[in-house]
Amino acid sequence: MIRSRLYILLIGVFVIGAGTLTLPLVGTATAITAEEMLADPLLENRARNLSQKLRCLVCQNQSIDDSDADLAKDLRREVRAQLVQGKTDEAILSDLRAKYGDFVLLAPPMAKNTMALWLAPIGFLLLGIGITLGVRRRTTLPSPSPISHADRAQIETLKQNHKKASKHDQPWL
Amino acid sequence: MSRFRPTFFIPLIAFLGLMVIGGLALQGTLSGSRNPNQLPSVLIGKPAPDVPLPLLQNSRAELALDVYRGQTLLVNFFASWCAPCRAEAPALEHLSNQISIIGIAYKDRPEDTLQFLEQYGNPFAAIGRDDDGRAGMAWGVYGVPETYLIDPSGEIKWRHAGPLTRDVITTQLLAKLAEMQ
Repeated sequence: MIRSRLYILLIGVFVIGAGTLTLPLVGTATAITAEEMLADPLLENRARNLSQKLRCLVCQNQSIDDSDADLAKDLRREVRAQLVQGKTDEAILSDLRAKYGDFVLLAPPMAKNTMALWLAPIGFLLLGIGITLGVRRRTTLPSPSPISHADRAQIETLKQNHKKASKHDQPWL
Repeated sequence: MSRFRPTFFIPLIAFLGLMVIGGLALQGTLSGSRNPNQLPSVLIGKPAPDVPLPLLQNSRAELALDVYRGQTLLVNFFASWCAPCRAEAPALEHLSNQISIIGIAYKDRPEDTLQFLEQYGNPFAAIGRDDDGRAGMAWGVYGVPETYLIDPSGEIKWRHAGPLTRDVITTQLLAKLAEMQ
């Protein structure tokens, strides 16, 4: 009982810790400067959306929306130039994919070589559920120890006695 | 041990699995076959992008790669502000004896490029100016220097991001050239 409470406490601490660590990442100022922005708010909105999906290939773990790198700036400009030309979001993403490969997308596309990546979390979840259920079953239902011959004989006599007793003393049963 | 407990082995097997993955990754890194900083180019096997660029020495004329159709070609993106480009200058100089090299000055000022060439030598058959990096984007350049090997039909055969070291030239570039012949 104490042990399981400790586990829950640990998980709670972990979740809270992860939350506070990622909190500063939410709503941080982006690298985009005022003169880069498009006048049309709708187009600018699409540009920002696309920028958040595209990886800065120099820093490799930031989107071009977050990155101050020169290449990120160039890519932001390219995205906006193509938007002004009237290209769709999909066309712009596939154009950059043709130049830089799948790596330019922060979310890897579903493909044969990324299946393991996409399915692993589900696999681990199922594995975790399986292990949890397995452990729980064993702790709540301990396997019965085999009954010895002597025990069996005693059970039989007790049963007989009970039958006899119930016949005589408890006729209403 | 009276009872066999399979769950006892799960963490052990998981740990061994992780060790195998880590070991393979380490081996790849040490042997040089796996380099996380080297992004693969998607343009390998595709025709070289045709982005018109003004020539460095004469901005009215355009650099045309078509002119070099029929011969094997190196295309080198460089800049005067790029330190590894200085480091690879002697290697390019040496390579220019056996293969034509086209230089593309990436996001550089022409006067700086010219001074760079004066200081570190000019191994290039022709030099184009990519002032705003748009050509670099078409080629999938994500940093300078980057070097592309183009075959006589104008197809990209090989790309290296980073300076051409002796190791890269002998184990990759020369091997690729030999393979093409």
